[in-house]
Amino acid sequence: MSRRRRRIAGLAAVALLALLAFLILTRPRAFETGPLPPASADLANGELVFRVGGCLACHAAPAGTPGAERALPTGGTPLPTPVGTFYPGNLTPDRETGLGGWTEAEFLTAMVHGVSPDRRHYFPAFPYRAYAVARSEDLRDLWAYLRQLPAVRAPGRAAEIRLLPLARRTVGLWKRLAGDPRPPAADPAQSAAWNRGAYLVHGPGHCGECHTPRNLLRIRDERRALAGGAHPAGEGKVPSLRGLVARHRYKDAAELALALQFGETLGYDKLASGGMGAIQTELSQLPPAELRAIAEYLVSLP
Amino acid sequence: MNRSPRRSLLSMLVPAALAVALAAASVAAEKEPIQARQDAMEAQGAAMKALGAIARKEAPFEAAVVRQNAETIASGLAAVAELFPEGSDRGAIETWARPEIWANRADFEAKRTAAHAAATDLAAVTDEAAFAPALGRVGNACKSCHEKYRRPKE
Repeated sequence: MSRRRRRIAGLAAVALLALLAFLILTRPRAFETGPLPPASADLANGELVFRVGGCLACHAAPAGTPGAERALPTGGTPLPTPVGTFYPGNLTPDRETGLGGWTEAEFLTAMVHGVSPDRRHYFPAFPYRAYAVARSEDLRDLWAYLRQLPAVRAPGRAAEIRLLPLARRTVGLWKRLAGDPRPPAADPAQSAAWNRGAYLVHGPGHCGECHTPRNLLRIRDERRALAGGAHPAGEGKVPSLRGLVARHRYKDAAELALALQFGETLGYDKLASGGMGAIQTELSQLPPAELRAIAEYLVSLP
Repeated sequence: MNRSPRRSLLSMLVPAALAVALAAASVAAEKEPIQARQDAMEAQGAAMKALGAIARKEAPFEAAVVRQNAETIASGLAAVAELFPEGSDRGAIETWARPEIWANRADFEAKRTAAHAAATDLAAVTDEAAFAPALGRVGNACKSCHEKYRRPKE
């Protein structure tokens, strides 16, 4: 073997090893479980999780969709992000274009690990790192709620991202760098409402997906949790949720809960722009006690 | 020619008055539209807050107070029609107006007109039971426009 050939062989070996390492490090994980224990689905709780998660805010039907379909999470509205434009999918139980053909374990794998039934990574525009810390009962109730919605045929659309398959696989590396999501620590010194609020804000509500700043790798900087950050669609700045009372945004938790419930109908005009309007519409349908819990937790943040 | 001194004074005063009026008008027209519309929005926001306090039962329901505040909102919305001239998507001060306003002018105008109508209806409310629903319609009209045409603001 000539020296030149040896060098080429060496380079090829290095490239092959690098490719293998990449494939191993980016391998999608599945929800590893035997058959799920039977659960008696609580549909009211499923709807609560659906509303607090603001699912409809991103999985909305495209503008101009007529009538009742507007109230269903059929997806199709573009979601612009710094990485590219996504088209959130159809969450109704349509067999061909929605979740109709999915199993519950596949749904939980998507929610907790961000992996699709065909074992590919979802981009974190789908906030699975927050849902990963949600209680499994809540996720199973959400599944039951989604299963009983009317099925709507609404074909999805591929994300507009450069080098899409490679970018998608690289999300596996991003997940490793971001580490395992940690649920908010319960604080027995605080009220039950405060603890409930912390759970809703960091779990199913995933407020930090927009309100927590991100580093250069677009991983959330939890030391500055909910301190505000760049708007994901480049619309300026997402407001900080810290010091809401000290900065005179709201008098107290009661007023913040009213603002979340009523928004502009009571003159609270900070909850309409930048995508918050659709989320507030969903929040307005929560039981007031849940909004009060969210507010109790948020106003406690220094 | 036989002009009276009085008449000649008048002939001098009229153009002078006209010149002053024209100058005043051009100053008004030149008032930075971004500043002018932010002032108008601030006034509407303050009126909305006052109405919100009534809805939250922190202030008593008084038809006259409702009318006054609703009229502030309605006249603000009437003024707003002129306060988004072409090219005012940027200016000397920061604006939260999104450029889509000028791309979807007809939709923006439809939303403004609907909000104005809701505020006018609210001004006519004398019955306490009709107040909260009428206020809700104004708030939703504000929201439907802010959702689409205003950038988030810290």
